[in-house]
Amino acid sequence: MSTQSTVAERPADRKAPPDPVLIKIRDLIYKVCGIYMPDNKFYFLNDRCARRTKALENVSLREYYEMLTAGPDREAEIRNLLNEITVGETCFFRNPQQLAALRKTILPKIMAVKSALSFTRLKIWSAGSSTGEEPYTLAMLFLEDSATALKGWTWEIVATDLNDRSIAKAKEGVFDNYALRNTPLPYQQKYFKDRGPDFLIADEVKKRVSFSRLNLLDESKLLFMKGIDVIFCANVLIYFDGASKRRTVHHFYNSLLPGGYFFLGHSESLFGVSDEFRLVHFPGATAYLRPAASPPGGGVK
Amino acid sequence: MNAAVDEALRARVKSLEAMPAMPAILAPLLRCLELPPDQIEVEKVTELVSTDKSIAAQCLRMANSALFSRRGAIETIRGAVVALGARRLRDILWSSFLIQMAPKAQWPINPMTFWEHSFGVALVSQQLAKKVALPEVEKVYLCGLLHDIGELVNATLLPAEFHTAVEYAMQRNVSLYEAEKEVLGFTHCDTGKLLGDYWNLSPDIQNVIEFHHTPGDAPPPPALAAAVNLADLLCRLRGMGYGYDELREIEFGEAPAWLLLAKAVPHLEKFDVARFTLELDAEAEEIHELVAAAFQT
Repeated sequence: MSTQSTVAERPADRKAPPDPVLIKIRDLIYKVCGIYMPDNKFYFLNDRCARRTKALENVSLREYYEMLTAGPDREAEIRNLLNEITVGETCFFRNPQQLAALRKTILPKIMAVKSALSFTRLKIWSAGSSTGEEPYTLAMLFLEDSATALKGWTWEIVATDLNDRSIAKAKEGVFDNYALRNTPLPYQQKYFKDRGPDFLIADEVKKRVSFSRLNLLDESKLLFMKGIDVIFCANVLIYFDGASKRRTVHHFYNSLLPGGYFFLGHSESLFGVSDEFRLVHFPGATAYLRPAASPPGGGVK
Repeated sequence: MNAAVDEALRARVKSLEAMPAMPAILAPLLRCLELPPDQIEVEKVTELVSTDKSIAAQCLRMANSALFSRRGAIETIRGAVVALGARRLRDILWSSFLIQMAPKAQWPINPMTFWEHSFGVALVSQQLAKKVALPEVEKVYLCGLLHDIGELVNATLLPAEFHTAVEYAMQRNVSLYEAEKEVLGFTHCDTGKLLGDYWNLSPDIQNVIEFHHTPGDAPPPPALAAAVNLADLLCRLRGMGYGYDELREIEFGEAPAWLLLAKAVPHLEKFDVARFTLELDAEAEEIHELVAAAFQT
């Protein structure tokens, strides 16, 4: 998750020690959902909690924390808060450092291994693709490199989401200014038609992404997702309970080829969720690696 | 580089008189603070610090910064000793003096970038040491702060060669350490060791300066060098490096320093590296502001 572009008022005294209850809420969200907001994001968390406390007839922050931990609707309320935290976040080029890691390091590495085996095919999966910004961003990046680094390679971008309406909107390919706020101008000019009130994504990009409906909790369907090189799954697993999260992550592991990578949202962590994946760091980004040589018992040659 | 040039460079580096001088007031201050806690004369320390108003102001800014208390409530040097203790005052003094050391020559790297990295590594090493309960936790801040002090030597004594090394590193996206090995034939670890010796730094600090890129070669126990090595890697990956992305991919669980630290610290596998990494984004912001403020005065 990236909250850097979110418009939130920064109080002048943001250096003041945060409300201890806010720290508790931050730690609760990390424990339950795996999403971590560092100290410089307290003003943001405070703002999002305030939206909820206001909606709940102005309960105090302490009362709100009680609702999140001990209230009868605590699960629903955590979901409400997560929605506030992630709302409006989806945009093209949302996480430039992940994209840089993909382009500069991950793809060259995977391609070197594959080409030694005479394979020339890449498959990327955007799991929880929402209204399409993420898979379309990937398609644009791949198109840019298609005549150079990716010459002679075929590539496929698979996008799945649970929500039919999101998929329909993604396929329509119409976006507002806000969705393009991080899009470099050359990409904007090359791959979008500026229609005044909105932007239409170019057919060239649209036809490179295949959208389908998929429930990440449906294990029988997940078994069909195979041979993936890189998975992107941002702000989806945060809504799952611990057991579901572990199951889905295990399926992701099996969907990936050995040497494949899995990206979460910017602020998400898999700590305590998977013993199979290995955490790797790139400049400004982290990812999870399915090791090329599977550990004993991994069952993959 | 041929052997004759190599030798000539080494001779220049060894001309200790040209080395960056330790601020004159620091040595007596540090001697005061080396005494057992109950014998430390707070008044004397306060008096010594207060002889230089800009240093005193710098000390207070440091004491109230993210590096130390974060509380913003320390108003006097005496207050700093009371709130943070004499040992931390030593860290504050070093931090305050170092940031005021102006380079003699034009640096090929921005001095602010250099200090952001040094303060970043100091803070991150210390937080890492605290989180994993490293026995040497009290020593690690200074080790982190001074780990790259050899760059100061290189920039001061070998400006032209250092410039070439920095250019080499940035063009090839490799670390300064690798670039120096290639271009100079020796590194800031070697020159930093010479300066550490000249400044009479403690053996712990000198070892970290010399071995922070090769913690496996550090004299036992290597935990300090390993902790600083990991903090250095993390800082370079999270916006507190040398202003360019020289690192491509690091798997911390397999890093030599991690494996060394795992021998010194039980249960290291329970340490949440992903969360620690995210926490650093807040540190980077605060250190950036701190260094910017220090350079404005």
